[in-house]
Amino acid sequence: MYKVTFKFENGDDVEAFAASGENLLEVARKTNVAIDAPCSGNAACGKCRVQLVGGELESEKTVHITEEEYAQGWRLSCVSKVIADVEVLVPDIASAYKSRMKVADLDSAKEIEIFEKTKADIEAAGISFKNDLEVVRVTMAPPSLDDTMPDIERVTWAVEDACGVERVKIPFSVMKKMAETLRTYNFDVQCVIRRAENKVEVLDICAPDQEVKVCGLAVDIGTTSVAALVINMLDGSILAKASTGNGQIRYGADVINRIIESLKPGGKKKLQDAVVKETLNPLIMQMCKAARIKPGMIYRICVAGNTTMNHLLMGVDADPVRMEPYIPTFFETSCVHAQDLDIKTFPHARVIVAPNIGSYVGGDITAGTFASCIWNRPEMSLFIDLGTNGELVFGNEEFMMSCACSAGPAFEGGDISCGMRATDGAIEACVIDKETMEPTLSIIGDEGQKAVGVCGSGIIDLISELFRCGIINPKGKFIREGRRIRYDKYGMGSYVLVFKEDAASVKDVEINEVDIDNFMRAKGAIFSAIRVMLNSLDFTVDMIDDVYVAGGIGSGINMENAVNIGMFPDIDLEKFHYIGNSSLSGAYTMLLSSEAEAKVSEISHNMTYLELSNEPTYMDEFVACCFLPHTDATLFPSLTFK
Amino acid sequence: MPFTAKSGKFSASINTLTVGTGDKAITLGGENVLPFYTFDAPIENAPKVGIEITDGGMAEEPECVQKYYEGCETVADMAKKAATFEGVDFLSLRLEGGDPNGENKPTEELIQIVKDVAAVVDLPLVICGCKNVEKDAELLSKAAEALDGKNAVMLAAKEENYKTVGAAAGLAYKQVVGAESADDINLAKQLNVLMTQLGVDAKAIVMNVGTAAAGYGFEYVVSTMDRIKAAALSQGDATLQMPIITPVASETWGVKEAVASEEDMPEWGPAEERGIDMEVETAVADLASGANAVILKHPESVATVSKLIKALV
Repeated sequence: MYKVTFKFENGDDVEAFAASGENLLEVARKTNVAIDAPCSGNAACGKCRVQLVGGELESEKTVHITEEEYAQGWRLSCVSKVIADVEVLVPDIASAYKSRMKVADLDSAKEIEIFEKTKADIEAAGISFKNDLEVVRVTMAPPSLDDTMPDIERVTWAVEDACGVERVKIPFSVMKKMAETLRTYNFDVQCVIRRAENKVEVLDICAPDQEVKVCGLAVDIGTTSVAALVINMLDGSILAKASTGNGQIRYGADVINRIIESLKPGGKKKLQDAVVKETLNPLIMQMCKAARIKPGMIYRICVAGNTTMNHLLMGVDADPVRMEPYIPTFFETSCVHAQDLDIKTFPHARVIVAPNIGSYVGGDITAGTFASCIWNRPEMSLFIDLGTNGELVFGNEEFMMSCACSAGPAFEGGDISCGMRATDGAIEACVIDKETMEPTLSIIGDEGQKAVGVCGSGIIDLISELFRCGIINPKGKFIREGRRIRYDKYGMGSYVLVFKEDAASVKDVEINEVDIDNFMRAKGAIFSAIRVMLNSLDFTVDMIDDVYVAGGIGSGINMENAVNIGMFPDIDLEKFHYIGNSSLSGAYTMLLSSEAEAKVSEISHNMTYLELSNEPTYMDEFVACCFLPHTDATLFPSLTFK
Repeated sequence: MPFTAKSGKFSASINTLTVGTGDKAITLGGENVLPFYTFDAPIENAPKVGIEITDGGMAEEPECVQKYYEGCETVADMAKKAATFEGVDFLSLRLEGGDPNGENKPTEELIQIVKDVAAVVDLPLVICGCKNVEKDAELLSKAAEALDGKNAVMLAAKEENYKTVGAAAGLAYKQVVGAESADDINLAKQLNVLMTQLGVDAKAIVMNVGTAAAGYGFEYVVSTMDRIKAAALSQGDATLQMPIITPVASETWGVKEAVASEEDMPEWGPAEERGIDMEVETAVADLASGANAVILKHPESVATVSKLIKALV
């Protein structure tokens, strides 16, 4: 056995022991050290690089590491074997995915604006924002030698009276603290209750003058990122908002790799722990701290995620999702509670899961569709969720059709050598000067924040600009020379956005042809899915009245650039609306409103699912789309540079 | 009432492209009807048949082909001989030996062979690369230079090397540029777009849209060609109106039906006959799907296919 020490730029060392010849990435996984490995350790993506700072490693050379970098100790962990005691430095850029949790600053109106708007739209659609949680104050006569009714009956009767119901359920957790609470406050208390038809469950019991906080948790579990809100269930106000990478990322970048990983012995538990214990619970802790509440005050939870994420969250076998005929265990769940999943909130908090429609159109889409309100309008709308899986919903108040295409993680920065989530240090927009080829960047973060990488919206801008400036050809290959353009010995070109001296990264922030290729496939998947779905309905793109674009791709996606690269149809730019993380805003409305919860379920039953892999024209469309802007240039008449 | 047949000719047509110079120059394309649909409108330029030899000379030829070149010592000798066979419209020289994973012959040596061949034949020339994109970029650029003024076809530029091959063959030496893609209408179109954006004249491009031996995934070839011709003619897609040239010999003379010996496969009949059959069947299917020229190896195949074309057009 050899000792493996993982070092971090910011953080404590982690030590592990490994057998001779053991794969370094495997060792890291076993030790819970997050090394970003979107390709699951197949030496394909070049992201799992670590720097050898002591000891020895046996590593193959790959195209992802230059000679110079190799000399500096850079190795791909997936092709490295432990052959002696070794110390490696896990660079920031690789661990950024997981370690960078971001708690949003709610003082800026921008963060909550989108939720306020969604709520207003949905209220306008006739959905009332009432949920099943209430606080009631009950007073009862103190017991005496003549009045010998036990506490629990006393509370039951009082609550029955106060709420006008016939049945009251008092769980064990409340019973335990009942005697003390009642006597401390002289049988005048407040109860947090959950109402369900003609019965009531008492969730908590507390002091009469205490400002009771009844909170809820809305979560969007994405394949790559997880975002959440803590809200006040009584008035709908947002108390905290945060996002982080999905801890499962080290088991593969896409759902298929995750499912395969979950099939290994103990895999289901491992993946569930990665999302609950390593991702959700720390996120909840952080948000509760920011909101100054206790996790136990979260009494209702709503989760929106794709079908695989739902299954892995529940620790349910997700393999059937992957295998023909693609039938998951559940579309909807009715009685899951926080304690069943080890979510650290009020243990008996009900977990509402946004219903799935198919194996590849999940609750994130039903929630998102609901939030977009396309189900309430006569206009023909197209809803696009740009995630690791691209999902589309097209329709109006009369019908809705959905489909999913595998876009890959490119929109969230995966599969792109300089890619990252839309968080501090991400380049979210860029303009390039056609003459000098010098870029002007806008970077997420405080004034003076240096660039670390590029997020989805930045990549859209970047590719559109590279194409407009004639730096790359329609196939995404470099065709100009300059200070910022480099070709490696295999002839692969790249464009340097930020030289390492000016970057907050250990290497230059640059985009290469492989990245562009990956992104072209992602945008091609989206556009071909739009075309195939519309064709299957005998619609054309000019019949689309509105396009709602959702996803955590970055706050300001430049629609014009997205059209220029052939990702979205060439229609009036005013028809495009960016609605942010609609999965989260949908979860927020479902959390807050029982009517919304019911409506989402109704929507999910009414949506038709189109399986693109059964469409013979899809592959053809896809190849045609892997070109800038498209092989059929007539589809993009308004494009001025071609 | 008399029956009046309605012509199925299209308003668009395939580009007309001349290869070679002088009396022996050939013209490809120009038709505005589907392959062999002469009843819709006359096809002025019948499909052409080329014969292929390689830089390896006699040694590389199948035994049954060698006898036709008896007495030839050099590749140039073979070229001279090949030009005399019945039905040969053009000569194709394949620089197989350049492959870095094979013999890896130096470029100068191969270019000398190109020059030698060009010196002894007046047939239009097609220079085929070694299928390695990097080496081909070099080989075909040099060949384009060596054949300056011959209006030869450089087969072919691919997505990976179109910049080099296109610039040398199409821009610098005004040869005909072959554009090769792998059995996909969109990829074929994309390469043509890239090539024209580079500045290569669309009228100086000939496509190799992919090829296979009959029975070896050939339906992809047929479907691709069919759809390319449909897009070019019925939709008037100018980026797909280039004539198509299909190398057949290099595919069919590698499959077991053509190479298995009679000792191994007695029930399959005479080896030479099989080889010719494979070549003829594949070539005819290519022509029926839209190829404007095919490249064959066995003189017997050349004669047969040429005869068929004459009978139909």
